[in-house]
Amino acid sequence: MRGVLGHFKELDSAVDAITELKHKRLGDVTVFTPTPRHEFEAAVQPPTSPVRRYMLVGGLSGCIFGYWMAIWASNYWPLVVGGKAISTWIPYTVFGFEVFVLVGALSTVAGLFIHARIPRLTMTVGYDPRFSRGDYGIWVECTPEQFASAEALLKKHGAVEVRGER
Amino acid sequence: MATIAYEPKRPNIATANVQLPAVRDYEQVDDEITASLRPTKAWFAALLLAMSCLAIGISAWMYQINQGLGVAGYNPPVMWGVYIITFVFWVGIGHAGTLISAILYLFRAGFRTTIYRAAEAMTVFAVMTAGLFPIIHIGRPWKFFWLIPYPNWRLLWPQFKSPLIWDVFAISTYLTISTTFLFVGLIPDIAVLRDREKNPTRRAILAFLSFGWRNTEREWRHFARAYLFLAAVSTPLVLSVHSVVSFDFAMALTPGWHTTIFPPYFVAGAIFSGIGMVFTIIIPIRKWFNLKHYVTLNHLDAAAKLCLFTSMVVGCAYMVEFFIAWYGGVAAEQDYFWNRVFGQWWWAAWIMLTCNMILPLSLFSQKLRRNPTWLWMLSITINIGMWFERFVIVVPSLSHEFEPWQWTTYAPTWVDYSILLGSFGWFFMWFLLFIKQLPVIALAEVKEIVPPRLKRAHAHTPDTADDFEPETPGAH
Repeated sequence: MRGVLGHFKELDSAVDAITELKHKRLGDVTVFTPTPRHEFEAAVQPPTSPVRRYMLVGGLSGCIFGYWMAIWASNYWPLVVGGKAISTWIPYTVFGFEVFVLVGALSTVAGLFIHARIPRLTMTVGYDPRFSRGDYGIWVECTPEQFASAEALLKKHGAVEVRGER
Repeated sequence: MATIAYEPKRPNIATANVQLPAVRDYEQVDDEITASLRPTKAWFAALLLAMSCLAIGISAWMYQINQGLGVAGYNPPVMWGVYIITFVFWVGIGHAGTLISAILYLFRAGFRTTIYRAAEAMTVFAVMTAGLFPIIHIGRPWKFFWLIPYPNWRLLWPQFKSPLIWDVFAISTYLTISTTFLFVGLIPDIAVLRDREKNPTRRAILAFLSFGWRNTEREWRHFARAYLFLAAVSTPLVLSVHSVVSFDFAMALTPGWHTTIFPPYFVAGAIFSGIGMVFTIIIPIRKWFNLKHYVTLNHLDAAAKLCLFTSMVVGCAYMVEFFIAWYGGVAAEQDYFWNRVFGQWWWAAWIMLTCNMILPLSLFSQKLRRNPTWLWMLSITINIGMWFERFVIVVPSLSHEFEPWQWTTYAPTWVDYSILLGSFGWFFMWFLLFIKQLPVIALAEVKEIVPPRLKRAHAHTPDTADDFEPETPGAH
């Protein structure tokens, strides 16, 4: 990965730089921010996160498994209680619901990990510890020929530090 | 080139109704909150006290294992006693954490921001504590795996129609999801600690625990979505867990237990007791770690209103129970409730009513809601009152069932009390260890409500104020 890293102190400077980078299509932009900001979302215009689908699929699978587990075990080891049917769906709704929540939530976390690309073994290029503290960073992945124009653009918008990384 | 409007069209989730006027920038947030990670003499003293209580509890449990369950206060037919009471108590304490972190998140209640991490950690450790009590209660803890509902060859078939099995699933799901919720929220904060850490060993551990989190917009986007959905599924889970715990009682025909009001009554009581414990924990933390400008009086005021509301719901449930007994016309129920309030167990019932229904009415006073000392003292009475609520539910019913020849009494022994004390030691030991390893206030979410540094002036940047605890309610 080769590119240019711009280091910003102010939120609006970083947002302005992203807007112009997107406009000029200089390269893929990665934004580092110590806290989520809607301003970056508006500037980057990313697609909607697909994590919700993991919740849906995981939750439904869990619900089905919860009912199935109770019904299968009851039929395999039949024991009449209180004159009720061996498999009764009303009490088994507890298992359907609990396993729905369990599998749905764990699937959501799996979706987060997959799409956020974590766990990550190395920090790769373009990261600076100051981005978790209070500063903003913009990593522009571009060819060496585009370095100069990317650096100029980042500096124009108030980057306090610009460096090329490869 | 068009410029972006810096006032977002919709607010960041944590910003609603809350500002921290004495917090100027993100660096201040990191510096002040992570300063609470440095051990102090008071922290060591508190840890020593907690571990001493735990040692007393462990010693009593060892004695009980050696001598048998006879050393506990069980007196047939009162075969549920302090251990089941304490189990329900700790499960209830565990409710406020997910309420504050999930339900108040969905409702955009801004006051949750600075207290939810402590409440979430409290939830996990409270449910861990609760989980010990069924094992202690069975008397032969080495056979605890018999409780696990899996098909086996011991002729102990898993009975999925039993509320006790529902309980196993509900509590274990709740513990798993609460722990997941806590840990997912911690990942960005662990990354902050990793980036500040100088010690290579600690840094490697924090790097491992942060999963290589880099604070990219992409990570935050998926994180926010996942967090929202975790909150969405945790919300019905909170309501279901104590409903299921209440079924342990309500499915029986025992007087005082067999009533449909139990699920909402238990849920409201659990949330009430949990908020009480949040006050017990968060008020000393804000004082001892100089975090009063994070957990402000406005936050405490808002949480106190929630406490008052849940107290009134619980009080209403108490009254409705009496009404049902009177209006239902069942002699055993009427006799039981009379015995509960004016007979054998009057003292326990009146401790419950005073602590849970009468004293919290003081929170109608704005002045008292904004008085941390009063809130802390009140929280202690709420904890006591809610333990006694479970005592009043469990013991009077079992000691005064249908047959007069079965009527008996019940008195906990020193073993019961020691194990109860040990449970507090266990809970606070874990909590104290937690607050020295990880931030007790969520760094990333607090940063969301701090105005960002801007090149152009922010329309709503508040003046830096030293009087972050204003006399005027609602200021800032």
